Amino acid sequence: MSSETEEMTLDEGVTYGPFGRLYHGLTTVDFVGRRKIWFAISAVIIVIGLGSLAIRGFNLGIDFKGGSSWEVLAPNTSIANMTHAVQSAGLNNPSVAKLGSDTYQVTANLNSLSQTQLTAETTKVVDAMAKVAHVSNNQVSTSNVGPTWGGQITNRALEALIIFFIAVVAYISIRFEPKMAAAAFIAMVHDLLVTIGVFSIFGFQITPDTVIAILTILGYSLYDTVVVFDRVRDNAGGVLKGGDITYSEMVNLSMNQTLARSINTSMVAILPVLSVLLIGAYLLGATTLQNYGLALFVGLMSGAYSSIFIASPLLAWMKEREPRYQELAERVGARSGRRTLTASSAALQGAQTGSTNARPSRAGLSPGTIQARARKQKRR
Amino acid sequence: MPPQVGSRRSLIVSLILTIAIAFGSLAATLSLGWGPKLGLDLAGGLSVVYKPTTHATTADLQEVVSILSNRVNGLGVSGAKVNLQGKDVVVSVPGVTDARNVLAIVGQTAQLLFRPVLCQAAVGTKLTGLGSKALPTCGASYLMSQANLAVTPANNVQGFTSNTPPPDPAFTNIASTPANQDLPQDTVLLPLLGKPGVRYVLGQSQLTGHSIKKALAQQDQAGAWVVNYTLTPSGSPLWDQVAQKNFHQLLAIELDGVVQSAPIIQPGQSTFTSFAGQGQISGSFTQASAQNLALAMNFGALPVRLQALNTRTVSPSLGHSALVAGLGAGLAGLALVLLYTILYYRALGLVIVLGLAVTAALLWAIISALGHTAFAPSFDLAGVTGLIVSIGITVDSYIVYFERLKDEARAGRSVRSSVDRGFRSAWRTVVAADTVSLLAAVLLYLIAVGDVRGFAFFLGLSTIMDVAITWYFTRPLVILLGRRGSASNSALSMAAGLHAGAQSE
Repeated sequence: MSSETEEMTLDEGVTYGPFGRLYHGLTTVDFVGRRKIWFAISAVIIVIGLGSLAIRGFNLGIDFKGGSSWEVLAPNTSIANMTHAVQSAGLNNPSVAKLGSDTYQVTANLNSLSQTQLTAETTKVVDAMAKVAHVSNNQVSTSNVGPTWGGQITNRALEALIIFFIAVVAYISIRFEPKMAAAAFIAMVHDLLVTIGVFSIFGFQITPDTVIAILTILGYSLYDTVVVFDRVRDNAGGVLKGGDITYSEMVNLSMNQTLARSINTSMVAILPVLSVLLIGAYLLGATTLQNYGLALFVGLMSGAYSSIFIASPLLAWMKEREPRYQELAERVGARSGRRTLTASSAALQGAQTGSTNARPSRAGLSPGTIQARARKQKRR
Repeated sequence: MPPQVGSRRSLIVSLILTIAIAFGSLAATLSLGWGPKLGLDLAGGLSVVYKPTTHATTADLQEVVSILSNRVNGLGVSGAKVNLQGKDVVVSVPGVTDARNVLAIVGQTAQLLFRPVLCQAAVGTKLTGLGSKALPTCGASYLMSQANLAVTPANNVQGFTSNTPPPDPAFTNIASTPANQDLPQDTVLLPLLGKPGVRYVLGQSQLTGHSIKKALAQQDQAGAWVVNYTLTPSGSPLWDQVAQKNFHQLLAIELDGVVQSAPIIQPGQSTFTSFAGQGQISGSFTQASAQNLALAMNFGALPVRLQALNTRTVSPSLGHSALVAGLGAGLAGLALVLLYTILYYRALGLVIVLGLAVTAALLWAIISALGHTAFAPSFDLAGVTGLIVSIGITVDSYIVYFERLKDEARAGRSVRSSVDRGFRSAWRTVVAADTVSLLAAVLLYLIAVGDVRGFAFFLGLSTIMDVAITWYFTRPLVILLGRRGSASNSALSMAAGLHAGAQSE
């Protein structure tokens, strides 16, 4: 995480590795200053994704193309047996896949058939599969999807997306401020683009479940961003008033203060999703779980990245263009160079003067090296 | 506004009450044997999404829903649900073993039929189907024949007097004709709409709804609700033939295996006269029942033509394996998260474990209880996923709080004052973040169709639970622990989870 390579030292002489620094609130990652790097990484992924989308498009599931699929639990057979059986039942180009350990899925496009032909063919395939699996024919699951179904789901999802965007921008504008709403909005669009790009690049199948999972992710990514912005707002009313650090430095401080939280939160969000993906989908073969899990996984990763590396640097960049923060930056710059606070030192300075509005003392601080200004404080 | 951190007494009360409510309601639902109502992808079953092929008004769609409900319920399967999601009609029948048969019946375009009433069946409680056997014939004394009814025009309120032949006991224990055997050319036994227990034996269909041009529910001069109808030019002579054949007898109007109404033909007249293309049905109608009859006569079967967008059947065995997969994934994910938090927060991690146990107990109780109501979506794989995702959101509230505590401890504050100050700022963050999550869930629930609603519902439910548990459980527990921790130095004291940077180890 941290870009600092040298070990840091507390005045007690205890040294910490990167994880220790994170745990003890001693990180000083320059999120805002290196925004060009973060933005470039995202831009590359998005451009490749959109390029792939333009050239290859999506791997759309039967819900979007229309078609039929059948599933049966058959422990003692093979893909070859199953393929042979359904071909004998009259399927022209069936694709047969094994899901999990013993579920077989047959997919075919029967949209050219009339309603009665479709029903007859469905019954033939069901009977053939039941025979191969040695089960009665009500043990075969079926799915027939007309070609317009997926489009309808997508339209609903787009409706939901637009309303969600409006509601969220309004909520953050009121609860926080419009520039935060804008930054959060751009971070969400970023997650949307990254996720659809990744799905196109790797050829993951798009199903209605995917579309829905993506919507959820946007909510989650935003949730993450809101927690960081909440701290930025706190600090804007606190440590920033001291007039000793610029807006960007304050955002950096906020980011480092919430870094442990951001990472932990992403971990506890991603662990269950990973479990859904690995245990539910690949080991046990539940396709719905796979569809949700994949989209949630990609989206959560992107969401965790964007709330740290996109939303906040973007906010700092927008705020620094405001005259009052430009003046602040000039004032701070005239007095000394750049300055970085850690969560620990900021907390101490706040406590030292007994107020969060206090002017922090600046002695002994220079860029790059950090000394937590720990004093042997009143132990309980 | 900063929330007030309560007194020791109120904190203890809140804590004990929350735990008691959570585990009490869990014990209650378990002892009642309630469980979540499983969706069809977990229990097996059938779901069809229909879309009208032409423009349909909300009233049309509601009519479709009620007709399809009648059909599905007529099959005698429990837990079937027909509802409107946007402009789609979603039919779901969990747990059916012969899904394709159900599908054929639900999807058929049923017709409005006019059948003569032969006799009324006596009320029975234990009904058994006939299988392939034919219905018995009505006994002579029970027949609704001209002679038995003896309709005489009169000057009373009803305009006529008549006998009421008693119900035929031969039919007491025979179940009504199932929808798939309700063929126009057969004699059938069908229930009367809105009169539980009343069932008629009906003869062959003599006319279909095609002969009706238009039916209208109106009030007559006396203010009573009647249905006025007009016949098509070709239907008019047909109707006269049927009416003449059934003069002074009951003619049943049947839709989808339910007798909508069974009026007597021209009881106020002593001889048959031509209807000349229009007629009126009167009786003890309410406004609603008159309108429903008019609707049924107008539309025959469904007010709009439906197209199946998406048809799914899930076998019970596949459903079961999906349930195992979902639960396995959820529990494994939960275990991973708990392991992570205990490794990271040590003693404080135990607070999370306890908090999740309370949340889980309460959620299970609520989901089980909701399974007994009509408005909650059934618990399906999408819902399971929603709950799994919500683990992250729930645990995050603790993380936000604990990181705040660490901040406070770094600032050199005592644990005692940290827990109060830390909660105030964490609470604001949790509420802001959960609002966003809830916003997403509510919007998804309102706008989306199908499985998504289950996902959104359970995500939203657990987000609300998160806010409640943070306030009523986490707050008192951590604050109490913090106050205790400042006095004692035990291994379970708060300080163990809060090695702040400012302190030496």
